[in-house]
Amino acid sequence: MSIPSSMKVGAFTTNILVKKKYLGFYVGLMWISITAITLEFWIYWQYLWNSNSKILFFIFLPLLFFLMYITTVFLSLFFAKVMLIIINCLHKPREGIFLRENSDRDYRFWSLRSVIKKWPIWLSHKFPFPFLDNICFKVFGVKTNFSNSLFEGWVDCEFIEFGKGVIIGKSSIIQSSLIIGDHLIIKKTIIEDNAHIGAHTLVMPGTHIGKNCILAASSATTVDQKLEDSWIYIGLPAKKYRKNPFFEENLENKITHVIDTEALQAEIFKTYEKGKHN
Amino acid sequence: MKEIIEENEIYSVDIVSSNSINRVSMKFLFYYLSIFWISGWLLVVFWYDYITLLILTDEMLFKIILISLFPVIIFLSYFIFIFGCMMLSKLFLILINLIHKPKEGIFIAKKGEGDYEFWILRTQIKKLVVWLINNSPLPWMNIWSFKWFGVKVAFSDSLTDVWCDVEFIEFGKKILIGQGAVVMSSMILGNYLIIKKIVIEDYSVIGGHSTISPGTVVGKDTVLGALAITSFNQILEKGWIYLGFPAIKLKLNKYAEMDRTTLRKIDVDQSKKFKVKYEVNIDEDKKDLV
Repeated sequence: MSIPSSMKVGAFTTNILVKKKYLGFYVGLMWISITAITLEFWIYWQYLWNSNSKILFFIFLPLLFFLMYITTVFLSLFFAKVMLIIINCLHKPREGIFLRENSDRDYRFWSLRSVIKKWPIWLSHKFPFPFLDNICFKVFGVKTNFSNSLFEGWVDCEFIEFGKGVIIGKSSIIQSSLIIGDHLIIKKTIIEDNAHIGAHTLVMPGTHIGKNCILAASSATTVDQKLEDSWIYIGLPAKKYRKNPFFEENLENKITHVIDTEALQAEIFKTYEKGKHN
Repeated sequence: MKEIIEENEIYSVDIVSSNSINRVSMKFLFYYLSIFWISGWLLVVFWYDYITLLILTDEMLFKIILISLFPVIIFLSYFIFIFGCMMLSKLFLILINLIHKPKEGIFIAKKGEGDYEFWILRTQIKKLVVWLINNSPLPWMNIWSFKWFGVKVAFSDSLTDVWCDVEFIEFGKKILIGQGAVVMSSMILGNYLIIKKIVIEDYSVIGGHSTISPGTVVGKDTVLGALAITSFNQILEKGWIYLGFPAIKLKLNKYAEMDRTTLRKIDVDQSKKFKVKYEVNIDEDKKDLV
């Protein structure tokens, strides 16, 4: 929601294969969801313009626009889910490593699923308050809770599970599918309760982040990495740094800052020595 | 004595997490709806006047002029909406700050705690206006929204494309903050919410995709490299170049000594010979300088 304007590079979904026949899905979804607006406006007009006081028409007009926005989002979600159910019957989504070529069936269906999800997700992010965000994720099959904040970063829309109270930092990326060279990797990412993911981080497909874990800023996890409960991880790739003390009680007067920053950098570099932690 | 030192080291904040708001609850929708509704009335009045003027005039020339002004009217209506939102959100903020004054410190971040809930409310109301202006045709006007909410900014700063907080920050003049940088004056770490003021002084340059944690003081003429992270309460001295995590001095910034009030005029094509070590693609008329 606080994303700077020029960084809005489209909806919060993964890269897709660009094909002309996918345009039919896009335009079809947009068309269906916008036709309901005209119907609502017509009903409002008939009801309030012919009544005794025409002032009521103008007083409730801004609320009508808000209602039209919500109905477009819900309608687009409904029809996108219908399309997804039909497509999942044709080819069930599965995890694994596939080839990035037109002849690969999994790759084509993965792109098609992302195309269908783009329009509802883009619409629900267009309101400054992210209350439609979690509804979008729940409809598309991501297990999440209303106490999560998923709107400050780029989060994928399938094969992810969240616990309660997860905080995702600004400008961070949580993926469940990855393109490397000629391969496409799809794996399930699991993030458990109360995890804090710092700013500018990358979470790769297949990671399992434990409870009460903190991933420091500007770090990245690798594919299939498991982060244990209540530890702090740092660096690229993420390695264990120290145990997480910040979930204890009564620490308001004890939290201090670091005095010697050069010693801190030396200590962080020590975690990259061979045979240490990990 | 040893126990106190060890305890200090355990609880020192040597990592940086983030400050996203979780527990987004639906009662904030009340504030948003009322702000949009009342600003929407301004728009309704504006469009009603325009359309009745268009329909009721008899002269053809006046009608043609009004129709040709239609794009300007659309442009103006967006800014009238922003104006209405700014007024109303400032009104809400004044009322909320009377109930609970904003202050710095370390608080508990759980549902039901006063400081935490009021912090969420303040950021949500302020970010509405910042979001609206970021999505308008003139995104560099977000300096207006910062000034309106009491943050000390100058118009010569360049603050677009930055994930910036809207309270407890002080900017100097002629600052450049790179794209994708995260400037946060509040941070959630475990169960605790840390709020501390950031001061960025004149002429400094902050690199792209860097992270500035709460409490840092960036001195005059310092340069923070790209992808760097500063730690909690760090002071960056003036005139140095910093890099890494946590940010450490690299070398002196030699351009800090330049006097900015006088302009220097240097003639480059004077008859000075240049030594060329590698193959260089030189223009025809400058080959006699080598």
